[in-house]
Amino acid sequence: MNEDPSRPENPEENRESMESQKKARERNPITRPVRENKGQSPKPSQGDSGVVGMSVKGLNAYYGSFKAVTDVDMEIQANKVTALIGPSGCGKSTYIRCLNRMHEVISGAYAEGKVTLGDQDIYAKDSDPVVIRRRVGMVFQKPNPFSKSIYDNVAWGAKINGFRGNVDELVERSLRQAALWDEVKDRLKESGFGLSGGQQQRLCIARTLAVEPEVILMDEPASALDPVSTQKIEDTMDDLKKSYTVVIVTHNMQQAARISDFTGFFYIENQGDPGRLWEFDETEKMFSNPERKETEDYVTGRFG
Amino acid sequence: MPRETFQQELDTLLSDVLDLGGEVESTLENMVRAMEEREAALAEKELGVDMRYKARGAEIDEECMILQARQAPVARDLRLIYTIQAVTNHLVRSGTLTEHICHALVDTDGCERDVDLEAALIEMARTARRLFHEGLDIFRNRDIDRARDLQAADDKVDLLYSEAMNLIANPSEDGGGAPEWRMRAALVVHYLERIADHGVDIGGRTVFLVTGERIASAMQQYINRDLHEE
Repeated sequence: MNEDPSRPENPEENRESMESQKKARERNPITRPVRENKGQSPKPSQGDSGVVGMSVKGLNAYYGSFKAVTDVDMEIQANKVTALIGPSGCGKSTYIRCLNRMHEVISGAYAEGKVTLGDQDIYAKDSDPVVIRRRVGMVFQKPNPFSKSIYDNVAWGAKINGFRGNVDELVERSLRQAALWDEVKDRLKESGFGLSGGQQQRLCIARTLAVEPEVILMDEPASALDPVSTQKIEDTMDDLKKSYTVVIVTHNMQQAARISDFTGFFYIENQGDPGRLWEFDETEKMFSNPERKETEDYVTGRFG
Repeated sequence: MPRETFQQELDTLLSDVLDLGGEVESTLENMVRAMEEREAALAEKELGVDMRYKARGAEIDEECMILQARQAPVARDLRLIYTIQAVTNHLVRSGTLTEHICHALVDTDGCERDVDLEAALIEMARTARRLFHEGLDIFRNRDIDRARDLQAADDKVDLLYSEAMNLIANPSEDGGGAPEWRMRAALVVHYLERIADHGVDIGGRTVFLVTGERIASAMQQYINRDLHEE
């Protein structure tokens, strides 16, 4: 027999043989049909909601003369969870704090670039950081309830922001959204400090929700919590994104994989360089087949 | 390097699959020789391998599951484990089919044969062996350029399949061999086509392992590519 009969001589021939192969498969249906894959991964800005919640262009963040984050472009999709991952010190937390003008509260720290929320450039001269922080709420790594009752922790921010509706309803709704209501409904007048760490963190989420922001930023909200509390916070995410746009910094990659729709990987190429957004794509893509080697090394735990 | 233990476990798993592949190939080799040399004893040696291959396949599958549970693999690690499970399945199936053919060779030993049909079967068996070997080699070396050619080479098997079936349906004038043998020949043709297909699929799985793309999608892109660009 001919030892090498069907090795294609040229691309045209190969093309023909592929087509005849296709016919052969139609004739011989034993081979299961293979699901057609998207040819190319879609750009994150074309996610299925398609609505941009926040748009970041050319963002740089500094601590005095030290540039911590450089040149970040990111379209944050509305009503989606965007996770930010990356090694320690790569600028994730700095970056997320630039999204509601919290970065500049540190002495000497400032940001440049364009961050728009709806039609509003949050770094425009006439934009009021207090208003921005009301529209873009934040939950921190360590739960930090006010030294007040559970009820007042939730109601306080809304009241000082001029909330005129039914406060009882607001408190209940916010606590329910944060998956805390059932645990605290009989002790609303007790101090927030009497709660467990996981409950305190959910109280802080409820407090953030009560001011009805458009975007919620979370800086490692579950890193100090036990697995059950972590799970409860993760469980709230699906509900939260129905009403809010969520950006979450996490060191827990599996958490990012579980809860987010989009993932941004921050990376520092050489020590002393500022952090960059190294890759940003749908979470599915980032955890199955990322474009860049550094991303793959990081998500598979092969760093260094 | 971090995750050293995990990497070792993956390496072990991969070498287990390649070992299994080597064994299935040796069964396939004996089957082809038994056909070429009309030496049923060679085929007889392989009876019973199916049980062993299935047991090995189950072990590999279980190891894959444990690694997924314990290590939560993602990206290339996840693709590797997924591909290993798929390839293992192809190997075990091919082993089973090869054993079926060996059974047929033993059962029909001494039966009268149609020489043309026998020649067609032998050519098809050699082709199946070659494609299976090629698929496994592509997987071993992650050589995805060859996977594309392998997909095309599958045509050859389809052609031989039709030829052999034609000979079975239309025996030559001087008789078509013993009925028992003819009937088994039809099954053998079908099994050989399956073995070749498993080999081709192993090559296709390798494309997914390396690029994260399904072979069908990769082929489509190749077909649709702009020829003037190259």
